[in-house]
Amino acid sequence: MKRALVLAIAIAVVLTMSVEAQSAKPLVAMTTDTNGLGDGSFNDGVYAGLKRAEAEGLCTVKVVEAHAMTDYVPNLSGLAEDGAKLVFGVGALMIEQIQEAAKGHPNTYFAGIDHYYGGEIPPNLIGISYREQEAGYLAGIVAGYMTSKYSKNSPLLNGKNVIGAVLGMDIPPVERYLAGYIAGAKSVNPTVDVRYIVTGTFADRAKGKEASIALIDQGADIVMQIAGLTGMGVLDAARERHVFAIGADVDQNAAAPEYVLTSALKGTTISAYKAIKALSDGTLKGGQNIVYGLAEDAIDIAPFHQFDKIVPAEVKDAVAKAKRDIISGKIKVPVSLAELGIKK
Amino acid sequence: MMQALAMIFTPQLLEATIRLSTPVTLASIGAMVCERTGVTNIAMEGIMLMGAFFAAAVGYATGSPWLGLLGGIAGGMAFSLLFAWAAVTLHINHVVAGAIMNILAFGFTRYFMNVFYHIQGTSPALPVTLHNYKYAVPLLGSLPVIGPAFFNQTPIVYMSLVAVIAWAWILARTRLGLSVLAAGEHPMAYETLGRSVPRIRYFGVLMSGLLCGIAGSFLSIENSNSFTEGMTDGRGFIALAANIAGGWRPLGCFLSSFFFGFVDALQLRVQSSGLLRIPSEIFLVFPYVATIAAVAGLVRGSRPPAAVGKDFTIEGEGD
Repeated sequence: MKRALVLAIAIAVVLTMSVEAQSAKPLVAMTTDTNGLGDGSFNDGVYAGLKRAEAEGLCTVKVVEAHAMTDYVPNLSGLAEDGAKLVFGVGALMIEQIQEAAKGHPNTYFAGIDHYYGGEIPPNLIGISYREQEAGYLAGIVAGYMTSKYSKNSPLLNGKNVIGAVLGMDIPPVERYLAGYIAGAKSVNPTVDVRYIVTGTFADRAKGKEASIALIDQGADIVMQIAGLTGMGVLDAARERHVFAIGADVDQNAAAPEYVLTSALKGTTISAYKAIKALSDGTLKGGQNIVYGLAEDAIDIAPFHQFDKIVPAEVKDAVAKAKRDIISGKIKVPVSLAELGIKK
Repeated sequence: MMQALAMIFTPQLLEATIRLSTPVTLASIGAMVCERTGVTNIAMEGIMLMGAFFAAAVGYATGSPWLGLLGGIAGGMAFSLLFAWAAVTLHINHVVAGAIMNILAFGFTRYFMNVFYHIQGTSPALPVTLHNYKYAVPLLGSLPVIGPAFFNQTPIVYMSLVAVIAWAWILARTRLGLSVLAAGEHPMAYETLGRSVPRIRYFGVLMSGLLCGIAGSFLSIENSNSFTEGMTDGRGFIALAANIAGGWRPLGCFLSSFFFGFVDALQLRVQSSGLLRIPSEIFLVFPYVATIAAVAGLVRGSRPPAAVGKDFTIEGEGD
């Protein structure tokens, strides 16, 4: 009797498992970086792309959060072993780990967000990176004009011609934002003083606030945050010291509506969605780096919201012209401080 | 060069130092009291994080940042009660228990964020924070340089200064202070006087819970207007180092926290002034290196309480 029961249960389990395997929709998974979901920028952005694809019936979705860098390889491998057809690894800090996981699981596609691979890329690995410098350039144009020529348009501006940026860590996507920001500001305001501070962390709000206050004490009236959750502190400082902040990755105006002038937008959602669409169409090609920018409609700056009236037509026209020139190739935006002649 | 230096060494540098050191000062005094009673406390990071979360949660729910502060204190003390029970009553190794507390705190705060607000990352913003209650002490607030930094500040900054002075006085002049010191130096002698070592150790742990709760509240409802996950970012461990560097004394704790805050504030301002064109990693490491140098050079006489970290059980008797 007991043996029959065990046999029945075993058959039931095997049947359930095989039913799962026959499910038509592929499993698409992602592992976040150590900031996890709720970072308000790219972990959330990529997850939104997965959810959009799921809503359209393209796939089922699974997300795993990492709490330490040592979680990256187990998460990536684990998701592949769970049967995911496409695994997203989010964040530049797991660039080594995703390559390791891809080599270990050649039958699963891996897509690294904010990754650009050199050398021989495994055929199941795709690097997705962005031209953050283009978004930084547009934000720089706005900052360059507002801090000097139009500083009378708002009591938050002091006319000292100093702008600032607070960085999380000195990694390539952050440097691209900054290089674009400096180039954009100087293209309309060659004498502007652009100062920046590296805080060394993407998770320390108070440090972000202190860095901003240091910049504000030194005359900055527009501070751009390129620092994830540390960047929330930049918004705190803008609120307390009554200066402008510029957000990054997503539209951060809601977090401090009276102080966030605009934000540099990065199309993590659209790029993740496109990759999943390609997987379900059967057109996904591995072994390559895909770069998203203005030309692919994946980069922009956020609307000015309540500051729309104080940002004059000249600035908006300059931004629109810059977009056209960048897409046509007339303007080449620098990607590193070295290109700008700034020694690190 | 001189212009850059003039831009760095300003009264604002002192104000920034106070802001950066306040949570560390509070937590290190908490660590000091706890360790003086004989319980090794490495859980300050976790207790601070819980305090930060509950301060923001209660402040948002009630609309009053002062009630939020009480919430932060309550959260810190309740969480530290768990640690006290583990370390003192269950006789779990203090370091192990402390490490578990830190992990638990990250998990709890993330879980509560989901349960209360159904979002992660940053909690809803408080409309009024303790920053709105900035108070300038008459006369003293107008002193040059030290006036704005020490006497025109927000509430919890004043609390940290009071905590240092209060505990210096308590340890030197009161019976309570003597009990705290005795329990950590020679618990057996303390017991033979008819007093209870577990009771004073519970007090020590709860006091560290109270102070770390206030430290966490500073981060979420005075320095900011909401809770962000992981916002303590290692300050609890800096406080641990500050306590050791300070020789387990209140003034020492204050000075080493202040020193660390100063070097951190300095490093930020040197970076943005453009005075030194060196890789940013050197700036980031600088506060930690400076602290190690200070501890190695200046604090040779630092001696922990004799019985810290040692479990106390009376032979032949349950506790």
